[in-house]
Amino acid sequence: MIEFKEISTIYDNDESIEILNGINLEIKDGEFVSIIGPAGAGKSTLLRLLTREISPFRGEIILDGVNLAQINSSAVPLLRRKIGTIYQDFKLLSAKTAFENVAFAMEVCGADKQEIANDVPKILNIVGLGEKLKSFPHQLSGGEKQRLAIARALIHRPRIILADEPTGNLDLVNTYDVVKLLTKINELGTTVILATHNREVVNSIGRRVISMEKGKIVRDQVEKGKYVI
Amino acid sequence: MEDLQQSIKRIFNVGWTNFKRNTYLSMGTTGVMVMVLFLFSGLMSLNYLASQIISGLEQQVDVSVYFKNDASEDEINKVKIDLESLGTVKNVEYVSKDSALAEFKEKHAGDASVQDSLEILARNPLQASLNITAKDSSEYASITSFLEANKFRSLVDKINFYENEQVIKRVLAISEGVRNWGFLLTMVLAVIAVLVTFNTIRLTIYNQKQEIEIMRLVGGSNWHIKAPYLVEGGMYGALAAGIVVVVFYPIVYFISPKIESLMPGVSLFNYFTSNFFQFVSLILFMGILLGVTSSFVAIRRFLKV
Repeated sequence: MIEFKEISTIYDNDESIEILNGINLEIKDGEFVSIIGPAGAGKSTLLRLLTREISPFRGEIILDGVNLAQINSSAVPLLRRKIGTIYQDFKLLSAKTAFENVAFAMEVCGADKQEIANDVPKILNIVGLGEKLKSFPHQLSGGEKQRLAIARALIHRPRIILADEPTGNLDLVNTYDVVKLLTKINELGTTVILATHNREVVNSIGRRVISMEKGKIVRDQVEKGKYVI
Repeated sequence: MEDLQQSIKRIFNVGWTNFKRNTYLSMGTTGVMVMVLFLFSGLMSLNYLASQIISGLEQQVDVSVYFKNDASEDEINKVKIDLESLGTVKNVEYVSKDSALAEFKEKHAGDASVQDSLEILARNPLQASLNITAKDSSEYASITSFLEANKFRSLVDKINFYENEQVIKRVLAISEGVRNWGFLLTMVLAVIAVLVTFNTIRLTIYNQKQEIEIMRLVGGSNWHIKAPYLVEGGMYGALAAGIVVVVFYPIVYFISPKIESLMPGVSLFNYFTSNFFQFVSLILFMGILLGVTSSFVAIRRFLKV
């Protein structure tokens, strides 16, 4: 369970510029939540709060009963291993192969060679890149790059996936593939929070939709939501 | 335990990869560190030579106490015993009136006018004396004060400390100057090394911004992200120390005879070979310390995990 209680964030320590303003939100385990809104609405900020890349100016974020503000900085990496992140620009290492990109995420968390050799091909198979282990990112299509990023996000078996505009750089077919993959991941029990400005994507998923504008939640459609202007 | 070993191995591998990746930058940083450590080694040589010069001068400096003609040899011996009981006195040599005269005659053996004058005088004009050598040149003033306050003060005609005082003061000033300026120079050089390595690590961090960002996002621990940069800094220092040792010894080998011809009995090469392990350990320690400190400052400043 994720709870945002009266969350406000400010820009560059300037209290007069609020990015998020009094956000109250609850997300249950296993939910698929789409956050939609125009650029600057605060969608990405909301996600970055969960990985503690930024801290709120006011309010509390409770994840599984733990206030994120009270976690020691040395424990933040452990928090991030529970949360997989996916971005519009993929954030892949261009000098590493598909296998190495996923292995890298395991190496920096102290996994041994045997574990890496076992787990990486499996996860790449799941996302449909089983044949592309040795391909470098520039040899992959946009959709494949995003699937590789999803594989990397899944490698620690996270309980939550945060996807920040994951289809922003993709064509229609690849967008559909990525959304399908995220839905499949969600069906296996992982909480997925998707931030996007694309209402077709949100409508195709047909789950809970939270609409944001100017740092505030303006609508929260809990069941079979559709984004309506 | 195996995890820890693996983790350390990975940190060293990544550190080594970073080191190799920016060849020119690594060479530049190592080069600056070589200069710093080389100058530090030069400074050590200068310190050694200065200490040899100072100890040579100090051996030549002493205090002589001249006794009145009516002072008996027994009385002078009592003064000698009193002086020898002082912890600050290294040696006291008694020079009788006769041996002073014999020495004087020998010294001026070729000077007929001196010999003639002594014969005309028909008595020994020289005084008995005690030549005092202190353990440390800074102690002469206190030894002189002791003599002036001694119960035998009435036997003493003159103490020539004040004639030697200028030499002693100069020796002390040189000694202190070499130490202070040497320390200052070492500090300045160390700061330069820290700044250069700091900037290299900063550039490495900048070049690897994306990797670091991904490491953070996937939950790489602070230690896993930061430690390779400390290792990289340490490697610059260790390599620089290795180069300095390899270059420094042949140079010392070649200049040592030249120094020995100017300062007989002072062998720079022997000094560094007899202290080989201490020297190598010190240079290695200094190099690694400089590298790791610079990296530490850089990652604190630029690597927000």
